[in-house]
Amino acid sequence: MSRLSGRAGGIALTVTHIHTFLVHPKKATPEEPEVIGTTVPLTGGLYKLLNGVYEKADHECDVDITFRPTLEGKQENICRDLVIDYLQSPNIARGKHLAERLSAHTDRRSGLGLLFLIVGKVGAENKVVVSRFPTDDAIYVDDKPNAFSVQYLERVFMKNKTSYKAVLYRHRSLTGGFWSGRAIDKQLNPRSGEPSDYWISDFLVSEFTATPAQGTRRFATAIRDAAKKAALGVKQELAAAATIAAGFGGLKLSIDQFCARLSLSSEARNAILSELRASRTAQEIFQFDAVLYKELVPYKSIELSNGAMMTADTERFDKVFKREDGSGGEVRFTTKGKIVDEKLKTSR
Amino acid sequence: MKSSKPRADALLQQYQTRHDEGLLPLAEELQLHIAGLLKGHERVDRVSVRAKAPASFIRKALVAGEVDLKYDDPISQIQDQIGARIITFYKSDVDRIDGLIKKYFKPIEFKNRVPESEWEFGYFGHHYVLVMPSDVKIDGIDFAHIPDFFELQIKTLFQHAWSEANHDLGYKSDGALLKPDEKRKLAFTSAQAWGADQIFDELFQVRGQGTS
Repeated sequence: MSRLSGRAGGIALTVTHIHTFLVHPKKATPEEPEVIGTTVPLTGGLYKLLNGVYEKADHECDVDITFRPTLEGKQENICRDLVIDYLQSPNIARGKHLAERLSAHTDRRSGLGLLFLIVGKVGAENKVVVSRFPTDDAIYVDDKPNAFSVQYLERVFMKNKTSYKAVLYRHRSLTGGFWSGRAIDKQLNPRSGEPSDYWISDFLVSEFTATPAQGTRRFATAIRDAAKKAALGVKQELAAAATIAAGFGGLKLSIDQFCARLSLSSEARNAILSELRASRTAQEIFQFDAVLYKELVPYKSIELSNGAMMTADTERFDKVFKREDGSGGEVRFTTKGKIVDEKLKTSR
Repeated sequence: MKSSKPRADALLQQYQTRHDEGLLPLAEELQLHIAGLLKGHERVDRVSVRAKAPASFIRKALVAGEVDLKYDDPISQIQDQIGARIITFYKSDVDRIDGLIKKYFKPIEFKNRVPESEWEFGYFGHHYVLVMPSDVKIDGIDFAHIPDFFELQIKTLFQHAWSEANHDLGYKSDGALLKPDEKRKLAFTSAQAWGADQIFDELFQVRGQGTS
C-alpha cells in the first residue's frame, strides 16, 4: 500500500459510503445487545468529521499490518473476507458482519464503541477506513451571556481518547490486494488495563508486517555498522545506546521511535538511518526481540557491585577484559591499553 | 472471453516497463537480502531470485478461467512476478531454513508441496507467498512497480535438479502434452531424486551432523 502526502498527490479523495454501528462488548458477555447500524448522510457536521478521519488516515495510520493466513498456511483470512465482501457492495447488512466480529472480540474493559466504515476511491484505488470511537462520560457546558449551565452526558464517543482505533486499507484490486493495511493503535505499549492486541490481532486477525526478528535485526545491524564507521564521540554514544536498547524487550516501536527514546543526538540518529538501505524502514513498527538483539548487539556491557562498568565490542569483550572468578561470586577484570578518550557524564 | 490481442499487447507493454524498471533491480536487492539473512548458515548451496519474464507473465495472465480469464487484474493478482529459491543440501536443512524464513518474513501462504498420493512421484518442495520486505524497497525503485508479494521455494539439490529438468522437458513450447510413458519416466526420476534425498539425509543424521 502506498503512502500519500497532501491530498493524495492532487487526486481527490471522495467518500462514497459511510455506515456506523453501535458495538457492544459481547466477548464473555453474550447477553449484551445485538449490533445495530445506520447510514451516515454525506452532508453535515458528522460527515465533515468523518471525512477528516478518512482523509487524515493516510498520515495517522502508521502501523503496517498484514492479515494472517490460516494455521494450515492457506491464503485465507476471515476478516479480510469480510472487508472485501463489504467493499464489493457497501451496505449495512454487509458492514454488520464486521461490526459483529468486532463485538465478539470486545470485552467490557474496552466497552461500548461506535464503529464507522468509511469507503471511497482514490484514483483507481479502493479505500476503506475502519474506525472505532470509544465511549466516555462528559460534561456539556452551555455558555450563555452572564450565565452558563452544565449537563452530564453519557455515551459520548471520542476520537481523541487513547483507546481510539482505526485501520486503513487501500488497493486497486479487491481480489489480489487488501492483504496489508495500516493501523492506529495508541495502546501498542499499554499501561492501562485494556488488552493491547484485541484490535490488530483478535479483530483484524493481523500482525505487524515487520516480524520481531526482521525489525530487530534491521535495527541491530544498523546501530552496529553505524558505530563501526562513526567518529569517536558518536561511536561512544551509539555504544551506550546499544547497551541501553537491550532492555527494550517486548516494546513495539519503529527505529525512529527507538532513536527518540534513546535521546540520540542528530549525528548519532543520522548515522543509524544512513545504514538503512531502504529509508522507509525507519518508520516501520516492530516488536523488539531482546534475545535476538543480544546475539547481534555490537556492545557487551557489565556492571559490577562496586559501581565499575565495562563496555566493549561483543566479539572482542572477552579478549580486552581478562576475567578471573574469585570466591563468593566475586570476579576480577583486568585490561590494558592507551586512553584515547575520557568523559564525565551525568547519567549512564 | 476478453483475451483480445489489444488487451494482451497493452498488458505486455505495462509489464515490460514494470519488469525493466522495477522487478529487475528488486530481484537483485531481494537476492542480497535473503543471502544476507542466510550468511553463516551451513549447507546452503545458493540463493537465486528472478523476475518473471514478460512472455511468461503474459502466458499466465491469459490463462482461461471457468467463465472468463482466470485473472481480471493480473498485475495485482499474479504473485510470482518475483520468484526466489533457496537450495540446501539435505532435507533436514529445508526444515531448518523453513524456521528461519517464517521468522524473518511475513507469509500469506505456506505449504509443503508433495504429490497427492503416496503412489505418485512428481513435484516436492516448500512453497511460500511472502510479503515483499520493506528492506528491499530502496529509494531508487519506483514503488508502483513493486509487487506486494514474492514467491519463495526451499528445495534440496535433488528437488531443484528434478524441478528444473521437469520444467524444461515437461512443458513444450508448442503445448504438446506428455505421453503416458514420458510421464512415467519423469515420475521415475522424481522417485529416484526422492530416494536420494532420503538416503543422504539418513547418512547426514548418522554421521552426527544432524543437529548442526
